[in-house]
This record gives sequence, structure tokens and C-alpha cells, in this order.
Amino acid sequence: MIEVKHIRKEFVTPKKYPGLKGAIKGLFRREKVRKVAVDDISFTIEDGEIVGYIGSNGAGKSTTIKMMTGILRPTSGEILVNGIDPAKNRKENAAKIGVVFGQRTQLWWDLPLSESFTILREIYDVPREDYESRMAFLNEVLGLQEFFDSPVRTLSLGQRMRADLGAALLHNPKVLYLDEPTIGLDIVVKDNIRKAIRRINREHNTTVILTTHDMGDIEELCSRIIIIDEGRKIYDGTPEHLRDTYGSHRMVRAEVSRPLSGDLWALLQVEPQACIADYDPQRKLVEIRFDKNRLHVPQILHGLMQLTEVSDVHIIETDLAEIVKQIYTHGASEGRA
Amino acid sequence: MKGLRIYLPFTVNEIKRQMSYKGAFYLFILISTFGSFVSYFLWSAIYGSSPQAVLGGLSRSEMTVYIFMVYVTSAIVNISISDWVSEDVVKGTVAMQLIKPMDYRLSLIARATGVMAYQFVLPSVFIWIGLEVYKYFVLGLGFTALANIGLYLLSSLMSFLIFVLFDFCVGMIAFFTNYIFGLLMVKEALLSFLTGQLIPLSFFPAAVQRIFDFLPFSSMIYTPVMIYLGKYRGGELAWVLLRQLIWVLLLYGLGSLIWRRVTKRLVVLGG
Ligand SMILES: Nc1ncnc2c1ncn2[C@@H]1O[C@H](COP(=O)(O)OP(=O)(O)OP(=O)(O)O)[C@@H](O)[C@H]1O
Ligand SMILES: [Mg+2]
Repeated sequence: MIEVKHIRKEFVTPKKYPGLKGAIKGLFRREKVRKVAVDDISFTIEDGEIVGYIGSNGAGKSTTIKMMTGILRPTSGEILVNGIDPAKNRKENAAKIGVVFGQRTQLWWDLPLSESFTILREIYDVPREDYESRMAFLNEVLGLQEFFDSPVRTLSLGQRMRADLGAALLHNPKVLYLDEPTIGLDIVVKDNIRKAIRRINREHNTTVILTTHDMGDIEELCSRIIIIDEGRKIYDGTPEHLRDTYGSHRMVRAEVSRPLSGDLWALLQVEPQACIADYDPQRKLVEIRFDKNRLHVPQILHGLMQLTEVSDVHIIETDLAEIVKQIYTHGASEGRA
Repeated sequence: MKGLRIYLPFTVNEIKRQMSYKGAFYLFILISTFGSFVSYFLWSAIYGSSPQAVLGGLSRSEMTVYIFMVYVTSAIVNISISDWVSEDVVKGTVAMQLIKPMDYRLSLIARATGVMAYQFVLPSVFIWIGLEVYKYFVLGLGFTALANIGLYLLSSLMSFLIFVLFDFCVGMIAFFTNYIFGLLMVKEALLSFLTGQLIPLSFFPAAVQRIFDFLPFSSMIYTPVMIYLGKYRGGELAWVLLRQLIWVLLLYGLGSLIWRRVTKRLVVLGG
């Protein structure tokens, strides 16, 4: 179990002034800039959960992960990972966790991948039999054998990411922290990585915390998401609940032969904002955005057919990405449209 | 010792890495031995124009041994781990070290041990043998006694530890300023002076030497080389070795203290 209690992280950096004159000024004046990267965040994660930790650029995701893995100490607040404070007992904690920072590698750049695994086996003190079976499993889910003897610096991004994930899993960690594990990967590799994460979670009950900008990762993996914005937690719950709360809009897009001959909302007897129709004369498309708690698709279609001639219809569900985009740009309260 | 075993791969890995950079390495050897020869001709000129046969307690032949043994010793002692620390800090790769269940300093020392092992074979041993041959056949001094060689090796090992433990503390500054390249240059210049690499410390006035006695730098290169030359006997020999041991322990303690402070306010860049 991971308990995060009211953590806060402040970065203090010397103030920089622009230009050469500024650089000289900076030598004499020691003004500090405070930046609150994480502001009073609390949550509890149970064993075996897969939690997506999302937020816009600079929201504080990586900072939180760094604190949870014990490489940064919170300015205040407390973190307990299975009862251990990761910053105070870094080594003890590190033996039980796996970490992937998508932007970096923990592998030895100059050595063949196989040697990185040998070194890691020693560092984590993995018994030989466990190592063999573990490697067989990792080969199966991540296909490492393809490039097992190549130097890490020659691996493609996707291969390196698979290798890094494998390295993080070698010692069968209880908790897996993934900071942008699918960044820059193609769809096939992304899919493999996701499958691997899911299997590891299922077969070993590994707790997974991942940050990502790809809502596909969230949709396919996470039973819970935590959204942070400017260092504060603004949502904690299931993706479905998020969709229900914030994504109450649906859209019907219809190909029509002529513009609507009247107001749809008037016909359906609702106020104008509950059902907004836009007509695009060039493409002959009507887009109707409506509140799915108030109206249903059949009603919309029925009304539409009274006002025009319909040749084709698409029903578009607001996807997570759309909702999250709204939340990032307008904040949580306005996202609840 | 099981605890230390996990660091062995760092040593082995570093040896392999060194081997893969052969080209650059030969160039480095060439340039640095060149330096030793320049120093040799310079001192020859000084001895040649001096009315005394012994300067700073060293005869002309001893000075030759001194110059080349300084080279042999610094190749196995002077391994700059602060470069690695600063690289780790600037690139943010220190995060990748800290997620592993290991001691950062020990992993650096293990890597440095790899470099030491490699440089001991290449070039130190060859220059050392060359020097002994030269000493025997040209200078007519006879080979160095086995006891001195043994004591020299013991002393060099402690020198290595003093150097890396000291250099770790220097590297820690990178965590506070993020950029220590300039500082590392200053360090190099100061060390070549304070360790006796440029001029034997016995050339300095007595008062200055007294100060050197309270600094760790003389223990880094000067001490093992003077032991090799057989300049210390009995109580004095025991004292310089003990002093080295004290520095090992003191710098170890200091490094632990600084590391504890650093991890409290550690900043990991990037991500
Ligand atoms: N070492 C540091 N010194 C000063 N400020 C920092 C430092 N590290 C992070 N920050 C600031 O803290 C905030 C949060 O950064 P963080 O890396 O956690 O964001 P993130 O959510 O991971 O963003 P991204 O999606 O872009 O990776 C940012 O505003 C960043 O500028
Ligand atoms: Mg980040």
C-alpha cells in the first residue's frame, strides 16, 4: 500500500536576470525564486492497482514520482510505501520497486543489453533460478531476445523502452513507477508495452503508477486516474466517473441534403444550450452537441429527420482526451460543462 | 563482504569501457609521458647548473625516479570521480543511480577501481619496469627492495582511497551549483602543486611543509613515492602510513556527512 499524505515540494532557485548585465547583477544579488511544484497532495494506492497520474506539462507529475521513488525529499508531508519512507530508507525501498523514466535509461549505454541485465541481477541480488525464469517471462512479453546482444546505444527508442521496462521488472518489484513509458513510441510498440504492463499487474499483483500524456494508456490500463494541475490534485477516481461527470456532452454528426428548416431545441422543447446544432454548408454536415443526461440519441434523430433529409449519421462519444483537454485548459470547475 | 559484491560489476564494466576507448587512451599516455620527459629534462638542467649534488633531499638519480614514479602513481591514484558526479548531476542521470538499491559513493569508487586496475597495467607497470631497468643499468642504483615495493603498493592503495574520497566531496559541490567545470580545472591545477606532482614537497620551506602535514594532499602522491625511494624509516614510516589511514577515515566520514546533507536538499534535473 502506498500512502501519500499532504506532500509538498518547493524548488528554490537563484533568480536569473536576462543578458550579460543581468548575469553580473545575479552575482551580487541573491534573490531566490520559489516554485511550488507539488502542493498538498494526498492519496492512497492499494496493492495491485494501476493508477494513471496525469496533468499538463509542468503540473508536477515527475516531481511526485521522484518523491515516491525516494530520490527527492518532500519539503513537507509524508510518503509511506509499504510502511517505508522512501527518501529516508532509499536503499531498502529501492530494492522493492521498479522505475522507468521514459526520457532516460537506467541501462549501461556502452554495454550490450545482456550485460546490463547481468549487472542488475547482481545489484538486486536475484537468485540464478529466479533470474532464468524471469528472463524467459520478460523475453516472452517484451521480446528482448531480438536485441539482447546489441549495445544499448544502438537500440531504437522502442527497443530501449522495452529493455528499460524489462530492467525495472527483473527483480519482481512490488511497485512499478512509470514516468511516460510510452513517450515517442509507435502504436504497435505502445500496444506491446501496455500488454506487458497489464500481464505483470495481473500475474504478480504489481502495483503500477504511471504518468502519461497518452489517453490511450489510461483507457487501456487504468482503473483509476489522478489528475493534477499546477501541483494540486483536482480529480481522483475512475475514468468512467470522470467521463460521466465532465463529459456529459455527446455529439451526433449527420450528413444532410439541406439546412435545418427550424430550431431543433425548440422542437425538442429544451433550452437552446442543451442542444446546439451547427450547419456546415460546404460539407453539408450538421453537428449537434447535446447533454446526454437530458436528451437521448433517438430523440435527436427523430427531431432531425423532421427538419431535414438525413443520408448518414455518426454518434460521437466525448473521449477522455477531449475531457482532459478541457480540464487542462479551463481547470476542473469549468471542465464540468 | 556480500554487501560489497554488488559493486563488482561496476568495476568490471569500467575496465571494459576503458578497453573500448583504446585510441583516445594511447594519445593520453603519449601526452602525459611527454610531460614527464619535459619535467625530466628540466630537472636535469637544474641539477646540471647547481653546485650541490643533492637538492631538496634528492640526488639527481633519485629525482629521475621521483619524476617517473609520480607518473606511475598518479595514473593509479588520480581518478577524477567528481567528473562523473558532475555529469550525473547535469544530465540528471543521478536519478537512475538513486533508484537502485546501492550506495552512490561506493558505486563511484567501484568504477574508479576499474579505472585504477586498467591504468595499473596500462601504462603504470610498463613505465615502472622501464624505470627499474634504467635505474639498474644506467643509473647503477640496483633494483628497489621488495619491502619498499610492498609498502609502496600499500601506501598507493590508501592514496587512491584518499583521492577518491576527497574527490567525492568536491563532486558534491555540483549538487549545489549544478555546474562545476571551472572548479574542476582549479582543482586539477591546485592538486598538481599540493600533491608534489610538479615539485617534490621537500623543496618547500619548512613552514610550508608543516602546513602540508595537516592537509590530505601530500598523502595522495608524495608519500607513496617517497616510500618507494626509501626516504622514510622506522617510526617516521609508520607515522606517514598511519596518517594516510587517518585521512581515509576522516574523508570517508566527511563524505558521508555531506552526502546526508545533499540528499536532504537534492535536486534532480529534468523529466
Ligand atoms: N529542479 C528543479 N528546479 C526548479 N524547478 C523545478 C525543478 N524540477 C521541476 N521544477 C518545476 O516544477 C514543476 C513541475 O515539474 P515536473 O517535472 O514535475 O512536471 P511534469 O508534470 O512531470 O511535466 P511534464 O509532463 O512536462 O513532464 C515545473 O514547473 C518545473 O519547472
Ligand atoms: Mg514529467
